Formats: sequence, C-alpha cells, structure tokens
Amino acid sequence: MVRFKSRYLLCEVCVSNHSDLRLLDDQSVFSAVRTAVSRAHGDYGAALTNVSFSVKYLNAHTGVVFLRCRKSHYRILWSALSFINSLKNRGQCVPCFFNCLYVGGTIRTCQKFLIRYNTRQLHRMLPQCRSEEERLEVRRAVLSCSINSFGNEEEEDDEDEEHKE
Amino acid sequence: MAAFADLNVANTNDKKKLQSVIETAAHLGYSTVAINHVVEVQPKKQEIGKPSCVSELFDNFPVVQGKSKPIKVLNRLTLVLSDPSHFRQTADFKFFDIVAIYPKTEKLFHAACMSFDVDIICVAATEKQPFHFKRPPVFGAIERGVFFEISYAAAIKDSTMRRYTISNAINLMEICKGKNVIVSSGAEKPLELRGPYDIANLGLLFGLSEGDAKAAVSTNCRAVLLHGETRKTALGIIHTMKKSQPKEKQEDKEAPASKKAKLDAI
Repeated sequence: MVRFKSRYLLCEVCVSNHSDLRLLDDQSVFSAVRTAVSRAHGDYGAALTNVSFSVKYLNAHTGVVFLRCRKSHYRILWSALSFINSLKNRGQCVPCFFNCLYVGGTIRTCQKFLIRYNTRQLHRMLPQCRSEEERLEVRRAVLSCSINSFGNEEEEDDEDEEHKE
Repeated sequence: MAAFADLNVANTNDKKKLQSVIETAAHLGYSTVAINHVVEVQPKKQEIGKPSCVSELFDNFPVVQGKSKPIKVLNRLTLVLSDPSHFRQTADFKFFDIVAIYPKTEKLFHAACMSFDVDIICVAATEKQPFHFKRPPVFGAIERGVFFEISYAAAIKDSTMRRYTISNAINLMEICKGKNVIVSSGAEKPLELRGPYDIANLGLLFGLSEGDAKAAVSTNCRAVLLHGETRKTALGIIHTMKKSQPKEKQEDKEAPASKKAKLDAI
C-alpha cells in the first residue's frame, strides 16, 4: 500500500519565566520554524516546509508542541530547530528554545511517550511543592496534556496511573 | 540510556545565572556538566586562579531528567595560548578535573597534539581557523587519547559565527574522520543550551555520521572525564582518597587501570 509517511516531532518549548509561556500560539511557532529552516538551509529548506509541515498540537500550559513533516525531510527540519532563539507573538518577542523529546511515526506513539514523560515530570515536581493547592495545580497542568482532541482513552489511562501513585 | 555530558559551561561570577544554567542542563538530561574557566596565559604572570568549590553552588544538586541521580558538576580549565614555550604545568592544574587548550598557532597545535598533557583541544568557533589541520598531529592526538572540541553557542547566536563554526568543523572532520570529537555548548545563559539529541542532530550538520554524532555527546565525553581523572592518579593505577579504608583503596586501584587499558587500546 502506498501512502505518505510522516514523522511527528514532539518538542518542548522552554522559556526562562513561566508567565511568557501562555503567549504561545500556533502561528508564531509555525512562522518561527519556517524562518529558522529557511535561514539554515536556504531556499531548499523553505521549499520543504511548504510541502507538508504543520503544527498539529500546542499546549500553552506546559509548552508541548507536535510538529509534523515528511519522513524524508525530518532531519533537516530537526537540525534547524536548534537554531531557534525566540518566538514572535503579536509584536512581543519571547526568548526561548526548542527541546525535541521524541520522534514518532504516528500521533499515538508520541502520545504514549508523552504520558510516560509527564508521569516522570510529576514525580520530579511534586516533592518540591509545598502546599496542597500547588500540588493540585501542578497535577492539573500536567494532566491537561492528554486532552480532548485525541480521544478520551488517553485521559483515562493517565488518571488511572495517577491513582495508582 | 547513555549518560550525556556538557563539558563547556562558561564561568560567570553571577552565582544565580550559573545555578539556572545547571538547572536547565539537568532538566534537559545532562548527567555531567563542567564549568569552564578560560585563562589567557601571559609570560610574566604564571599563576592561574583556583576555581571556586563546586559544593558552594548548590545545597541540593538538581536531579537529572530521566534518572534518579543528581547532576555532577566539575571544573575545567581552558588555556588560550600562542606560544608553546609559555605552557608550563603548574601545581594549579590539580584543582581542575579537565584541562583544555585553545591553540592560536600551527606550532602550538602541533605541540599540543603530540606532547602536552591536556585532555581537550578546542577548535575555533568564532573566527576563521588561522591555520590548516594537518594529518600527522591530528592522528598523533587520536592515538594519545586527546579529544577535539567544537562548541556551538556561537552558532546559535549569530549567522556569521554559524558559518565559521560549520566550516571549521567540516575541516576537522575531513581529516580526523569523526574520531575523538566532542560537541559542547559554550553557554552563558540557560537559553543557549540545547538537548543532547538535538546536539547529536547538529553533529550531522558538522559532517559526523549518526553513530559518531551520538558518541560525541555521550561516550567520548565520558572518555575525556576518565582521561582527566587519570592525571590525578599515578600512571592511572593508584588513586588516593582521604579517609579511605583498605578495601575502598583496592577498588579504586582496579577501576582506573582497566579504564586506562581501554583508552590505550583505542
């Protein structure tokens, strides 16, 4: 069977102060990646991003982004991601960097990884929280990753893992 | 999972900045970080300052993402030299875990590769390499276990620097064929760091093969750390520790020797 194979890059956007994270937007990430690829790889890179590059999912609370591109060109896109210095959003410039966590062939595999990664993050962050409200907030922010757009199964899985802890 | 290391974190006097850089490195997954003290050696004054104690930085070192151990922080010295006669091994070297050298001339590069007792030779990242690499010194360095370092912070900041970094890196790769290379950040701010897998991908841009690029961030860095450790020991066999019991001492005796044998075999 012939079909177009794609690669999904699961990235985390890291900023120095958390309040800037809420300004994240599909459009700003899209344009930032496009300019970075055209600066690093010239016209060839710009043409590649025209073909089938898109931002599939974005979570402003934790800074998780899913990028999709063709299987044959994902390395070129990935190498240009490291050169991104900042994101522009409606005139404001947010300094940040992209940290690529996982490359998967389908959204499902990326999500499975994201669930495991989030539980590990919870293990790291909860001991540092001092009050019960902080804990609830942290849990909510991290759990909100596997949400609605992709179906309810993942959400239940995540909650079950939570209860086991 | 391999242990990633970032062997070049610029030393600043601002303690909070250094702390935030190390925290970001732990978040990204680096198990070891080395704070780089850069010294321009002049012929008149021969002293090199002592590095600040690592345990003063943190009470609890941040835990590495994906593992349960805290991040390890080491001290590293980089000497910027142009004349081989200026290099003198002083007693200050024992305070640093890794010693690196940044050669400015061809003569010094040759001498550093063949005879100096250093762990790392830095490749220029912010300017055009003033001399060309020749095969004999590079192969001599590879046999001795000395590594070449490319630092990528300049490439991230500026477009012209990017060209210099990539062209110098490709120049090196043509001659050394990807052996004995490490890639590290020269980060001064936490935003200049990048994750280890991203750096392995950058290695592809520099001309490394996939396996070499991943090794440049993990196994080669570990080899540099061991090379630096053996400088503190006598011929890599005896390692002294304060308040050590005889049983512990024997364990230390065995470990460096087998690792040194591994380095020699390469």
